[in-house]
Amino acid sequence: MLEFKQISHLDSVLTNPATRTLRANDLLGRWLNTNRETTGIAECNIERQGERFMISLVGVGSKGPIEWPRVEGKLLANLDEEGGQRAVAVSATFEFSFMKSETYIRLNRGVLVVVFYNTFLDNSSRANYVTREFFSRSA
Amino acid sequence: MEIAQLYDLAEPPVGAELDASALVGEWVNSNADTRSIARLTIFESDGKLLARVFGIGPKGLIDWGEAELEIFSSSPSSSTPSGFTGYYDFGFAETEIKGMIMKGLLVFAQFHRFKDDSQRADYFVREYFSLFHGKF
Repeated sequence: MLEFKQISHLDSVLTNPATRTLRANDLLGRWLNTNRETTGIAECNIERQGERFMISLVGVGSKGPIEWPRVEGKLLANLDEEGGQRAVAVSATFEFSFMKSETYIRLNRGVLVVVFYNTFLDNSSRANYVTREFFSRSA
Repeated sequence: MEIAQLYDLAEPPVGAELDASALVGEWVNSNADTRSIARLTIFESDGKLLARVFGIGPKGLIDWGEAELEIFSSSPSSSTPSGFTGYYDFGFAETEIKGMIMKGLLVFAQFHRFKDDSQRADYFVREYFSLFHGKF
């Protein structure tokens, strides 16, 4: 008997091996922020190395781009239908000495949606904050 | 001041701590047919923000108990709460919850990771919740 805390824990889709990587390759590539005036993340790159999905981001800086550390994303089956298509989502955590950014990434009708939960670790008294940005595939 | 993006370059909010009252209340899933979470209650206690989540079970709601929430604002200089994160450990699985307020709606994401040997895939759910306000 499987343990559960909600009915979706028992969804038979979750035991289908194909669910773990469903349409995962749709996430791959170079993605550019749809807002050219963003002061946040300009670019998101997702690469596949065997079974690993590597995520790298480029922040907008005052003196040029800021490369974020490259991290491995964790694939998550997605029970949502996005635009009639079910595809995996990815979570990834980026760690700086002064800040941690927990993100989740998903595709919605061809747009890459990234949500950032940023926690400051320094003593700057800046408020931890959440943002969401949209990316379109680079031509 | 270190930054990872220009957006981080901001003056901290002056004086006040984040006012969590905008998050407090009874949040109800917009999807009456959900197989996930029916509702959650967010409340303050002893200076902490807590959630109590109720999952959909085959025989009624399943009380997940309470989880402490971390509050997030809309920017490094804002004292207005715009989201939260929390964590449940059920033994057989662990679940992160992440909420984000968009135009009064709670966009609520769940990240389920199984720790048992059931071979279930870790998965993600994203749903919408509205605050029960009793006005209309």
